Amino acid sequence: MHVVVCMKWVPEANDVVIAEDGKSLSIKEGVNRIINLFDEYAIEEGIRWVEQHGGTVTVLSLGGEDAQDGLKKALAMGATQAYLLNDPAFEGGDVVATARALAAAIRKLDAEEKVDAVILGKLATDTETALLGPALARLLGFTQLTFVSKVRELDPAAGKVVVERQLEKETVVVEGKLPALLTVVKDINEPRYPSLLKIRKVARKPIPVLTAGDLGLDGGAVGQAGSKATVDHLEPPPPRPKGEILEGDLEEVIKTLVDKLIEAKIL
Amino acid sequence: MSLAVDLTANFDFLLGPEHKALREAVRRWVDQKILPNIREWDQKGEMPDWVLREMGEMGLLGVCIPARYGGAGMDYLALAVVCEELERGDTALRTILSVHVGLNSMTLFTWGTEEQKQKYLVPQARGEKIAAFALTEAGAGSDVAAMRTTARREGDVYILNGEKMWISLADTADHFLVFAYTDREKGHRGITAFLVERSFPGITTGRIHGKMGIRSGDTGWIAFQDTPVPVENRLGEEGEGFKIAMNALDNGRYTVAAGAAGAIQAALEASVAYARERKTFGKEIGEHQLIKRMIAHMVMKLEATRLLVYKVGWMKNQGIPHSREVSLAKLFGTQAAFEAAADAVQIHGAYGYVDEYPVERILRNAKAPVIYEGTREIHELIQADFVLGYRRRKPLRRELPPYDPEEWEREA
Repeated sequence: MHVVVCMKWVPEANDVVIAEDGKSLSIKEGVNRIINLFDEYAIEEGIRWVEQHGGTVTVLSLGGEDAQDGLKKALAMGATQAYLLNDPAFEGGDVVATARALAAAIRKLDAEEKVDAVILGKLATDTETALLGPALARLLGFTQLTFVSKVRELDPAAGKVVVERQLEKETVVVEGKLPALLTVVKDINEPRYPSLLKIRKVARKPIPVLTAGDLGLDGGAVGQAGSKATVDHLEPPPPRPKGEILEGDLEEVIKTLVDKLIEAKIL
Repeated sequence: MSLAVDLTANFDFLLGPEHKALREAVRRWVDQKILPNIREWDQKGEMPDWVLREMGEMGLLGVCIPARYGGAGMDYLALAVVCEELERGDTALRTILSVHVGLNSMTLFTWGTEEQKQKYLVPQARGEKIAAFALTEAGAGSDVAAMRTTARREGDVYILNGEKMWISLADTADHFLVFAYTDREKGHRGITAFLVERSFPGITTGRIHGKMGIRSGDTGWIAFQDTPVPVENRLGEEGEGFKIAMNALDNGRYTVAAGAAGAIQAALEASVAYARERKTFGKEIGEHQLIKRMIAHMVMKLEATRLLVYKVGWMKNQGIPHSREVSLAKLFGTQAAFEAAADAVQIHGAYGYVDEYPVERILRNAKAPVIYEGTREIHELIQADFVLGYRRRKPLRRELPPYDPEEWEREA
């Protein structure tokens, strides 16, 4: 089977601040970048599927040159091949424009070896939209399975996958047809550490780059030019309200606490 | 807490992208799997089995061994990077690399016959078998020739008798590289090296308790009572053991020196985090000049140790004998780490004296490397003797093979 994993190369979470223009995110200078936390689970899941059923895991990332380091890490974990989507035309795209570029790359891969599934993290830790997966599924016409916490059954021959979706208050079991697009949550697996043997093998190997032209995309369809959404302004989340500290006689405090918990419908 | 400046950057004149990726992978494993647990393991004096297993799975146990012998096929600088990052977690982790890779596997790689390498080196490099180095005895430390273990030839076997002491992984290892007298009359020229399996008859091992530091690590004793060792398990020639041991120490000392850089890094990271968090007299203690001085000295020691270690790594890669240089790196690095750890405790004040913070463990750990693999005093003698002309490094019958990327990556 052929599994494609989409990976985003992001700054380590707490190093993102709102830029002076109030509309974009700014990353502190010299900040370390990592594979988006949830995408690491996606890479692991893709590798596991292929270990079990044979085939190819292809990892894609749309980003700057430095995203190569992340793709190399994915290869060192055990992915078969990796491509970097890098072109000035891709810059400044909204989620749909980005999905368009990735979908074009996946279609190109599909023409070479039929793609059975696309897996990515439930969201990216820098922008936190959780929209890329659904947008990609729609553009590709794949079955959309978001927030997957467990794969109960995978049968590539029958073109079937049964997953558990982790929703806020419940877990839903869904059966879907392949090809499918899955976004995954942390519970799905435990990502492996890359092996030294593979680290050495991929370290000096260049990652092939795909441009808009390579994907047959018109510059107007991707990047800022292809984006319909514009950001009006960004603001930080409101600070968490301070907790209430109960003081006084212990018996009284316990009683008040229990009353408050009942009032808040926690008990 | 990481430092505001990446002190591992700009070593590109020696280190390549594979070393960077390697450092990140090991550091991450240490951050996620070791640091959250090490305080408890240190208190209990044990380390769970999965630690060694995961080190093997990643390929750390064969980092610089060629792929055709089951290793990861990286160079000798990669070994230093791994040792640094492991000791940043805890000295016990680096000790595993020192004895398994540095003292045993690299010696086997240098001196072993093809049959010996296939039989012992391959499973060791893959992490399937764990290896230790048995030279020291209760009455023979710096004075190696005072050892009492003997190997008496009887037909196709040598009969081994004696007891080794202060042996890292004594109670864990499957394979031991053992040194014994085959001819006591000849002094250190009568010592011979043997590859011994735990499963051979007459072997008992045990752990030493009450250590000041490296408490989660296995340090112990090995006793041989009429243990038969097949002739084909002799490493090198009869009487060549002393040279083999000294040659092995060139690798062991390298791992210890590299580890020292990791210990300084750990002391520095803890100190910087604390200096930015703790306030006295209305400001962060990092803003007090005498704290700054201790931090500055740590940075100085760290950078200098790394440079000394990487120089030796480069010499190893080139195949240049480096007994003097590695002795210097070990002498400087271990003493620097001990001093850095003591300053780290000082910066933490009373909190540094309790195990709520990692620095007291780093300090306790940092004393042993000043003692083992050649005491500070032995290395001072070596350094002086080289420049005074009392000591020369003579060529050996075998030397550590220089690193050759193609040769190392060749699968079979």
